Amino acid sequence: MFAVLILPSFRLSAALRWRAELWDAPVALVEKAGAKDIVVACTPAASASGVRSGQPTPQALARCAQLLILPPTPAQERALDAALLEVAFSFSPEVEQTAPGICTVDLRRAGIRDYDAWAKTAADRAQQCAKNVQLGVAENPDLAFLAAKNARQILVVKSARDFLTSLAVQELDPPQQLLGILHDWGIHTLGQLTALPRGELADRLGPDSARLWERAAGRTGRLLRLARVPETFAESAEFEYEVESTEPLLFLLRRFLDSLTTRLAGLHRVTERMTLELALEGAQRYDRDFQVPSPTADPSVLFRILETHLETLRLEQHPVGLRLVLASALPSHDQFQLFENTLRDPNRFGETLARISALIGGTSVGVPELEDTHRPDRWRLCEPRFHESTKTTAPTLQVDGIPLRRFRPGFSANVQIVDHAPAFIVSEKALGAVIKAGGPFRLDGGWWDARDTWSTEEWDVELADGSLWRISRTEAAWQLEGSYEESFIPAAGSNIVPFRAV
Amino acid sequence: MQNNSTIAGLRALLAEKFPAAPPRKSGDALPTGLADFDEKYGGLQRGVVTELHGSTGHGALFIAAMMEHAALAQHYLALVDAGPTFDPGSHSPHALARLLWVQCTTAAHALKCADLLLRDGNLPLILLDLQSLPLRALGRIPANTWHRFQHVAAETTCAFVVLTPRPIVEAARTRIHAESRWNLGSLTRRRKELLGGFALQASARGALNEQRIA
Repeated sequence: MFAVLILPSFRLSAALRWRAELWDAPVALVEKAGAKDIVVACTPAASASGVRSGQPTPQALARCAQLLILPPTPAQERALDAALLEVAFSFSPEVEQTAPGICTVDLRRAGIRDYDAWAKTAADRAQQCAKNVQLGVAENPDLAFLAAKNARQILVVKSARDFLTSLAVQELDPPQQLLGILHDWGIHTLGQLTALPRGELADRLGPDSARLWERAAGRTGRLLRLARVPETFAESAEFEYEVESTEPLLFLLRRFLDSLTTRLAGLHRVTERMTLELALEGAQRYDRDFQVPSPTADPSVLFRILETHLETLRLEQHPVGLRLVLASALPSHDQFQLFENTLRDPNRFGETLARISALIGGTSVGVPELEDTHRPDRWRLCEPRFHESTKTTAPTLQVDGIPLRRFRPGFSANVQIVDHAPAFIVSEKALGAVIKAGGPFRLDGGWWDARDTWSTEEWDVELADGSLWRISRTEAAWQLEGSYEESFIPAAGSNIVPFRAV
Repeated sequence: MQNNSTIAGLRALLAEKFPAAPPRKSGDALPTGLADFDEKYGGLQRGVVTELHGSTGHGALFIAAMMEHAALAQHYLALVDAGPTFDPGSHSPHALARLLWVQCTTAAHALKCADLLLRDGNLPLILLDLQSLPLRALGRIPANTWHRFQHVAAETTCAFVVLTPRPIVEAARTRIHAESRWNLGSLTRRRKELLGGFALQASARGALNEQRIA
């Protein structure tokens, strides 16, 4: 058995995919044909007002003044086609993409016993992609196509003869000349056609009539041109007007995510990365990648990531188009160590980091990693990957002393040198006589690159008030690099309630 | 086999079904790795605001101790640095790998970031370092900020420590005072030795700690 999924008015369905409420309004899809704009499809409400495919736009507007004219949406057509194909692949691996909006599925190896029950389930799944999907099931692809075309929603053909008998000959799209002859003979239905002897019909009207007879009898069989599983999970929309707030974007993104995650779930996959592309006024673009900390197909989790970003996004131009691409991945399973602590909810943590990044800047939060250099204060911030199981070596205390608190930038200082060592410091933060000094610690590097040569001399000093500082000299200038310990005199009259000593 | 999202979903389901059930036993403490402190006080209280006040050196050494212990216990911690004055070069790479460093330039940003991390509840230890800020800036923080932090912390299992130059956190349930003194010779001593002699004294108020202490 074969099944065919058909999306009637495919191009119009794609254009109205995210605006389902317009199906009840008079809407026409208009395309340029030469110098004229021609109606290529219209809603039932527009048809009821006299609008027809092939009419020039002015004529259609004359028939229906409230007619809403929409342009074709190629990106949405591609996305809808891909969605339909993925639904078809969830039924069987042998699928043909017969035409835009039409998929033929070979069910012979699917092991289905009750085709009526299967068709009901399959139609429910297909409706997640588009509400007006029609499903036909029959013993060969052409018959299944006819069944789908004539189905209200589902049609399972059990007897090809009974089904075909009442169908009009035009359903098989015969050559116009042949159709004219058959009509002249009084042959209007397929039942009447198959009542004629096949051989004599072929002798009189040629091989085309023999092929038509075979199809009318439901005896044709053909091999499917198998399609490949689409690997792109993308949805897009173009706006008629510039969008001035985030609400319409969020509304569409939620719809996109619902659709895309359903497709992912159908293939037992999750997403690990999302790409948001905004087409802006003046042919500008805004692209942003989002790494999903714990790959998932949960639309709510993915939506929160996008919502958090859009809440703080400020653009100079208004968006006129939107595209969302999900990168698929297999669900990951990590074997954690028994006593290792990982994050409870990596996606929530990622969301929190996004909020912090929006507040203080993305370059100000992360995991510090030392650069491979002796140059002071050289490090970079890496993206936290705390949700991944990490193999750590036994920690050892490799550094000595009190950690430095580094001033960025350092304070300029006047340092008096006595016997080649600092003796007195005057700066904004530190002032006093040096009672002990450690150094000099001379560091230099980058001598092989004239643009990046550096050299510094560092001292650790203790002042008379007990404070400990690091100072450095670069060329002739002294700087207060940081503090190990600053003297502090508590302010009198603290209003804090005294605590009971433990 | 363990799936993070499944576990998170299961926890969320349990929390929804049994809202009254606390995720951890009240009074549970997070060890600091400072032997004397852990022996005497059990560690840092979870779900409460703890204030550590002392000099900048004490704060930096306390942060180092927490980082080293996090690496040893294989958990993560966040440092909300209001200076920012944290120096990665003063710490070992394996300790840095467990640290989320949030660099803020104002007290308002630091408080907001700490609030976000505390509400997130993913990290077991959050350090809010305000020691580098001028006292005038600290004095401008409204007292109700700390009460709000205490309220948020009570809903989590995080240990939340605010490092200040003097006692300013009115709502702190536990206050730790650092008393050690350092000199130039301390800069060349092994950090393990410094941490061994790191004198911390805690004082507490509120039913939670009094119960534990009793």
